[in-house]
Amino acid sequence: MSTSSLSTSSDDELNSNRNPNPNTKPIDDELSLASITLTESNGNGSVNVNDQNACGQVEVDVEGPSSPTSSGYAGERGSSSEGTSNSRIDDDDEIREVINDDGFVDGVRDARAAPWMPGKRHVDEDDASISWRKRKKHFFILSHSGKPIYSRYGDEHKLAGFSATLQAIISFVENGGDRVKLVRAGNHQVVFLVKGPIYLVCISCTEEPYESLRGQLELLYGQMILILTKSVNRCFEKNPKFDMTPLLGGTDVVFSSLVHSFNWNPATFLHAYTCLPLAYATRQAAGAVLQDVADSGVLFALLMCKYKVVSLVGAQKASLHPDDMLLLSNFVMSSESFRTSESFSPICLPRYNPMAFLYAYVHYFDVDTYLMLLTTSSDAFYHLKDCRIRVETVLLKSNVLSEVQRSMLEGGMRVEDLPVDPLPRSYMSHRLSQHRLLTDSPERFRESTVGIGGPAGLWHFIYRSIYLDQYVSSEFSSPISSHQQQKRLYRAYQKLYSSMHDKGIGPHKTQFRRDENYALLCWVTQDFELYATFDPLADKALAIKICNRVCQWVKDVENEIFLQGASPFSW
Amino acid sequence: MGCSASLPDRNSVRSTGLNNAENGGSPDAKNLRVKLVLLGDSGVGKSCIVLRFVRGQFDPTSKVTVGASFLSQTIALQDSTTVKFEIWDTAGQERYAALAPLYYRGAAVAVIVYDITNPESFTKAQYWVKELQKHGSSDIVMALVGNKADLHENREVPAQDGIEYSENNGMFFIETSAKTADNINQLFEEIAKRLPRPSVS
Repeated sequence: MSTSSLSTSSDDELNSNRNPNPNTKPIDDELSLASITLTESNGNGSVNVNDQNACGQVEVDVEGPSSPTSSGYAGERGSSSEGTSNSRIDDDDEIREVINDDGFVDGVRDARAAPWMPGKRHVDEDDASISWRKRKKHFFILSHSGKPIYSRYGDEHKLAGFSATLQAIISFVENGGDRVKLVRAGNHQVVFLVKGPIYLVCISCTEEPYESLRGQLELLYGQMILILTKSVNRCFEKNPKFDMTPLLGGTDVVFSSLVHSFNWNPATFLHAYTCLPLAYATRQAAGAVLQDVADSGVLFALLMCKYKVVSLVGAQKASLHPDDMLLLSNFVMSSESFRTSESFSPICLPRYNPMAFLYAYVHYFDVDTYLMLLTTSSDAFYHLKDCRIRVETVLLKSNVLSEVQRSMLEGGMRVEDLPVDPLPRSYMSHRLSQHRLLTDSPERFRESTVGIGGPAGLWHFIYRSIYLDQYVSSEFSSPISSHQQQKRLYRAYQKLYSSMHDKGIGPHKTQFRRDENYALLCWVTQDFELYATFDPLADKALAIKICNRVCQWVKDVENEIFLQGASPFSW
Repeated sequence: MGCSASLPDRNSVRSTGLNNAENGGSPDAKNLRVKLVLLGDSGVGKSCIVLRFVRGQFDPTSKVTVGASFLSQTIALQDSTTVKFEIWDTAGQERYAALAPLYYRGAAVAVIVYDITNPESFTKAQYWVKELQKHGSSDIVMALVGNKADLHENREVPAQDGIEYSENNGMFFIETSAKTADNINQLFEEIAKRLPRPSVS
């Protein structure tokens, strides 16, 4: 995979100090309160909407998000309820306050001090609350009749009027044979996703690209399907006014944990999974026993440590999509009851088969490490229980569980450890583990390197292997140490990712972007994608050299950081 | 990036019992093994009852059960028989109601729980009794449990209602408190006594 290399001579491909993302195109019309981007669902004509009032502007785009053209349309302000007030509250001081508050904290400043707490917060709020309106990122799920299903903040039942307004916007556009994708209102974006009778809406002033927000809505929908399957649509066929909230009872924690992960888990936009770093033999040992189990009629066997994969195996021809893995691990990790005892629960993998339930046997070996065995057979519990006992015995005997614990404590790749000079291969191939052996006290070692970062101002990187559907992310270290800085960096990566994958102007091969916070370098080849963050003052030519070295390093330790031979999952 | 390439799931709607062969008591008259299922509305304290019985713990922070949890506990009776309860603690959420047969099929004992401060949960308990009378094993031992008895000042379901309903339906009735551990062991001991004993040949 590292036969390709990024050279300084390709400078012409690198745009420095330029933002190639067309989504950040400023709205010219100062008077416009809202601009609406519409895309014709059949894609064959222009949208002709009657002039209603002159307070807005519509950008009509029938070919894709790349070249919005303006028409003199007057924005739809909807009914008089609070729901459409995004354009109006934008004029208020309180919103300006939020904007000044800076882009890395959703909602209010409490996220800055306190660690994230699971579960829904601010349930007492509704759309009349100033605090509710100030939240930077809202997520809503509602039914096509306008009934609320889920809201990130506030009580769903109190938001019935607001939901109805969102529904009105969607159906107004749909009645014209069209589909609303995005409404821009000042600093706010309102992103819509229609999935049959289920509507999903995100209202955000976080400046994330449309594609990212839409991807987040897709995941939110997938999480709902994981809990209920797509057959929930039938309830709406029978009764269009069906109230879905009771069916999702007790799942607030699952959704809020997913929404939280949009801030910190790169899997949510990379659509890839990541592995816990382990010695090749250790991962092989885990894989062998899981393979054993899979051969006895288990569809998927996954051994995970938090959000990282230790090993996973699927039955023949069965493939597991990284998004399904993300949604499944989020579901299991956010539902406390799985930790209490072994469980057997119906779950649906939306990418595998959105219509049917699978049955998941879940068992925690320790606080972080858990086994999931998925089957199509609803009476397989005792068989899966026996499988788990077999797996546990092997894992204990071969010290896999203690190795997993050790890896958790030690962490993964650190930019400080990037080999500075090319070293003999024999040494390189064990770089990751040798470093560990050399430093008896990793804590002390880490302290001594605080504030340094890697060579040439390298602060962080993410490497995504395209064939493996896996990524590896370096550990965070100073100066990107606080939760907020990490969140801001992920937002920057997200932006980079969607601009690299922009269908209108992309795909791109390389991008160099420098702003007051970082210099970001992205490099996409057939085999991998590399996202690297440097000190904003870093030298570009040097940064490119370092990126080549990172790729070499990843290749040298690939047996430890990736799950090899998992080809059934990435055909 | 892999999408699903595998067989559609044809078995998913089928819901046979959970390995019937393993349940319903072993032939050993001195060492019984029984499958027990807990049913009832969400939030009535099913998991708390089980955790109090199995681990002697009480955790006031509510943890919503997903699907069903499996725990086991063995008790010794005075006549030196032991009873191993294999307990299915089911989720009370509506979405799991259709899947309940998965867990109660083949169960020798059903413990139906309601919250004495919540009349709706009492109604829901009656629904479960009817469901089991229709679809459960014919010789199933059923217990009706009014939980949260420590909150007697908020009581909304009189004990008499529970007693009458259980008498009319041939059930055993008890009020418990998982919080104070009141009557928890008694519940399971009483169930153990009522189990049909296999005759020793």
